[in-house]
Amino acid sequence: MKTLKDTNSIEYTMEMVGITKTFPGVLANDDVTLRVKPGEVHGLLGENGAGKSTLMNILYGLHQQDDGDIFINGRKTRITSPRVAVDHGIGMVHQHFMLIDNLTVLENIVLGIPPEHPPFLDLNSARTRFKKITEEYQIPINPSTPVWQLPVGDKQWLEILKQLFRQAKLLILDEPTAVFAPSQVEQFFIKLRQLTEEGCAIIFISHKLDEVLEITDRITVLRDGKLIGTVTTNQTNSTELAQMMVGREVSHDRKPRPPSVEKKEVLVADNLCCMDDRNVPALRNLNLTVHTGEIVGLAGVDGNGQKELAECIAGLRQPTGGKVSIQGKPITHVTRDTSLLGYIPQDRHTIGLIEPFTVEENLVLKTFDTDPLTRRGIIRWRSIQNNADKLIDEFNVKTPSSRIPVRNLSGGNQQKVVIARELSGKPALLVASHATRGLDLGAVESVHNILLHERNQGTAVLFVSAELSEVMALSDRIAVIFNGEIVGILDAEGADINLIGELMLGHRETVLNTMQN
Amino acid sequence: MEINLAFITNWLATTLRLSAPLILVGIGGVYSERVGIFNIGMEGMMLAGALAAVAGSYFTGSLIVATLWAMAAGGILGVLHAYLTVSRRANQIVSGAAINFLALGATNMLYARLFRTVRSRVALYPIPVPESWQSIPFLGPILFSQSLIVWIALLLPFLGAWALYRTSWGLNIRAVGEYPHAVATAGLSVLRLKYTGVIISGIFAGLGGAALVLSELGYFAPGITAGRGFIVLAALVVGRWNPILVAAACLLFGAADGLQLWFQTFKSAIPYQFPLMVPYLLTILALAGLVGRVSGPKTVGKSYNPENI
Amino acid sequence: MNKPKLSSIRIPLLGELILSGGRPVIAIFLALFVSAIIIYFLGVNPIAAYTSLLKGAVGSIPGMANTCVRASPLLLGGIAVAIGFKGGLLNVGVDGQLYAGAAASTVVGLISMPVPPWLHLIITILAGFLGGALWALIPAYLRAYRGVSEVVVTLMLNYVAIYFVSWLVHEPALLFEEGASFPQSPLILPSAQLPILIGRTSLHSGIILGVVMAFLMYLLIRFTPFGFRTRMVGENPEASRYAGINVKAQTMMVLMVSGGFGGLAGAIEILGLKHRLFDMFSGGVGYEAIAVALLANANLIGVIIAAFFFGVLKAGASKMQIVVGIEASMSLIIQALAVIFVIALGLGGSRMKKRRRRSQKNITITETIEDGD
Repeated sequence: MKTLKDTNSIEYTMEMVGITKTFPGVLANDDVTLRVKPGEVHGLLGENGAGKSTLMNILYGLHQQDDGDIFINGRKTRITSPRVAVDHGIGMVHQHFMLIDNLTVLENIVLGIPPEHPPFLDLNSARTRFKKITEEYQIPINPSTPVWQLPVGDKQWLEILKQLFRQAKLLILDEPTAVFAPSQVEQFFIKLRQLTEEGCAIIFISHKLDEVLEITDRITVLRDGKLIGTVTTNQTNSTELAQMMVGREVSHDRKPRPPSVEKKEVLVADNLCCMDDRNVPALRNLNLTVHTGEIVGLAGVDGNGQKELAECIAGLRQPTGGKVSIQGKPITHVTRDTSLLGYIPQDRHTIGLIEPFTVEENLVLKTFDTDPLTRRGIIRWRSIQNNADKLIDEFNVKTPSSRIPVRNLSGGNQQKVVIARELSGKPALLVASHATRGLDLGAVESVHNILLHERNQGTAVLFVSAELSEVMALSDRIAVIFNGEIVGILDAEGADINLIGELMLGHRETVLNTMQN
Repeated sequence: MEINLAFITNWLATTLRLSAPLILVGIGGVYSERVGIFNIGMEGMMLAGALAAVAGSYFTGSLIVATLWAMAAGGILGVLHAYLTVSRRANQIVSGAAINFLALGATNMLYARLFRTVRSRVALYPIPVPESWQSIPFLGPILFSQSLIVWIALLLPFLGAWALYRTSWGLNIRAVGEYPHAVATAGLSVLRLKYTGVIISGIFAGLGGAALVLSELGYFAPGITAGRGFIVLAALVVGRWNPILVAAACLLFGAADGLQLWFQTFKSAIPYQFPLMVPYLLTILALAGLVGRVSGPKTVGKSYNPENI
Repeated sequence: MNKPKLSSIRIPLLGELILSGGRPVIAIFLALFVSAIIIYFLGVNPIAAYTSLLKGAVGSIPGMANTCVRASPLLLGGIAVAIGFKGGLLNVGVDGQLYAGAAASTVVGLISMPVPPWLHLIITILAGFLGGALWALIPAYLRAYRGVSEVVVTLMLNYVAIYFVSWLVHEPALLFEEGASFPQSPLILPSAQLPILIGRTSLHSGIILGVVMAFLMYLLIRFTPFGFRTRMVGENPEASRYAGINVKAQTMMVLMVSGGFGGLAGAIEILGLKHRLFDMFSGGVGYEAIAVALLANANLIGVIIAAFFFGVLKAGASKMQIVVGIEASMSLIIQALAVIFVIALGLGGSRMKKRRRRSQKNITITETIEDGD
């Protein structure tokens, strides 16, 4: 039971009212209102692109809103820069660490704080204050350590300490538990409670539904730039929240599957283990099989190993244990064999396409040195153009010419170029990683149709997506990934969305119990 | 050639004299690279400073004016480099190279018009200690015969290091070349910090030019800097972007330079070119990781786009 | 709606050139304009100055010869830098590669071979290419396999090369010519000398070699898998890796080829012009080559034009000095201004392109693309 501080005749410590923000071509925030009470933990939920980051960037002064007002402790305030935000006691801990590795902990802490006796950098008084804070919250970090030596969890704490050092009264935490192991998360929540008891309010951005349910007092959900609603945590549950976030009815309109062809194994991942970019285990003894003529949907919350799995399959990441093979061929390094694997990567802009290259060039990134595109060492541009014309036609890519830079195309058509390229060799296995992210509805439908067509032709498809409804509509079987393992495989036909949701959160026991009843 | 006391004394004295301009340029170079801007235009800035120093000394007779003109000449080119690399986000090598051409062309023209017929030497930096001190054995010829600017060059690295490591402004400078977005999030102006670092390098390069011409020579000649602005880039790597270590590296390079003069004059067995190669080879070894881990400020050479996270 | 398919229109060589050359041309005009103002303030009629410059450069046979001779090393150096650009690399070491190539071809040019003279010449030229390529080996390896920026390493190797050559031509080292009054190598054999194109001028066929190489490299980049790979890696190494390209090997090869052309630049100076190796025989070509490649927007054919432009400036400058009294160093200022205007207009070096894509669901901000470093 929390007691409100007696000075609080102010009901809200911070209010963002009617915030609207447009970027060229996109309405990022559409009349959004967010109110935070003093000492509360307020969850901010929404899918990628829902507008959470924009809203918080406005609060922190990195952007300015086009319309709407911000009130701090009841007073209307214009936050024109991060410095102004900090002066008003707002602190933001970003998803990516804003730490300078080559400097010490203490130097990172004091960066940007005007010195007491300019120009001298008084580290001693800072050190004392820092020690006090670390003792109070029992976070043992040595102020003299260079930041690059800190383990990832400590870095996250350091980011929070930076804000506390600046006497933040409103802390914005963007995906703070992404780097913590489950045991550390408990510790983290205890300290968050400690903070709120001291009067700090926290905006907790996350898409880990069960964590949000555990730690927050109230939750605001955004979707497509709009406010969907604000609920009190102990009056809601994960299904309702998921529904608010996704807002789409699960489509029961499933495409019929052709009579089953003899099923052969195409992709076999056997006890696969690997590390992620931060040298934290990403896949733990993962087992998965995909057969000819089926779509296996990989459902799971972003960051549970999907990216690393796709990369291992494509040969871009070395497994630390187990193995992965396509049609029996073990995958050890990147292959250009388009008859084996087509891989639609997560980031089409950075790694799927070479943006200044033309459409026809992008269509041949893996095949330009093969016959008939190259003969006797000479590239035959006419062949490349013919190839492009064929693929543009086949996949219905809308472009005035095959010789314009691919960056001029719309997002949906860019994705089609990637897909066309990856499918041009008629691969045995297609891995599609978040293939519809960032696309409008029409483009999404096109991509779905292409995938279904491939499936019908006998291609094995692994479809990775964070959108549960999409996975359910498209897949034949659904594999749920959690914490680097496959925790459940179900037939999509008649699957229970709640069950899958529970699996996505790692609640295996609940699922087993349900299934036994 | 015997290696006796006279040789060593002479060598050390020459070392200090030759190193002084390098040290001055080097301090500035540290600040430029620390904010993430590669400055190969220091050669041109030094050249411009040299001409400005001679001009100042010639036309006003005042060494203070000469020094200020030199610092201004370098500083103006520094502003140009900063504008091109920070505001226009141009390639830093290209910008520096263009500044070098500009400085070379402009100084050649100005020299031809102003000084080609001038035969006399202009006023030099004075020696700041009493003449009697110069007869003190060892220290006398080595240290006490050096002109004022050499003394300044020996002391400034400490000031430069203090500013970099003991002031909050120095902390900002060190941070912005490593991770500009973190600095922006902390509420500081990345642009202002970068401009400052580059302009400082221009000013100090100009000062180095003044040291080059006004400590013993007393005249300007076209292209007189002869690549010193580039050797400083080597010193930055070897000195790990720390003003005091960079100054030490400059002393080392000056010593090598002094040595090769001896080798040339006295026809030693070792070809004189070899000590001259040392600074450059050392830098490559350092970068290749063979003499300890060396990595400069992380974003040197990259352009900073505020809208790009 | 039946729009004619644009993809069937092939843009010919010239069209491509015009598209990429438009913007540097503006920069050159601005540079000439600003320089005209400076000339005016120096008390000289700018038109007269530029006329005398042009006359000196192209108004007579010896003038044209001079222009071509000055342009040749810049052309080959420009090719070197441009190839590097295409591969995403900045080769600041053309000076060093030039000296290395010059030394290599001098050595081979001094060896008497039992082969017909034209073959000796070809072998000598190849030696020059190899010398430059080998000089780029270390920076290439460090960049490709250790991630060390090629900029500083090539820069440092410039000086090492210059001093190395200096040592070579001083007695008692390898190339020193006995009895000479300055440090120099003996004259290379006549069979190794580049033929002179126009009698009684210094116009050697190095210029032909340069122009031919520019065309060949253009064809290489555009019509071979090697060229395609180079462009891929130059634009987006990560996407190239995903597409199965061996980025490290490609990077190394590109820098070495670039170095080879730097070596050729040195080779033709010796084989065509100086006919012997001596101390400090060349200065500053490396940086001017960067300017040439920049003005050409790294287009291999445009490099020919840019190199000629610089050749004109250099060759005509001395005439301009004699006739109107504007110092020859004015040409350096014009060169510098041209480069400054090109980069100040936000072109060449770091080109940032940012596109935001319309989307109902997401704000998808595409990555910014940076060239240069």
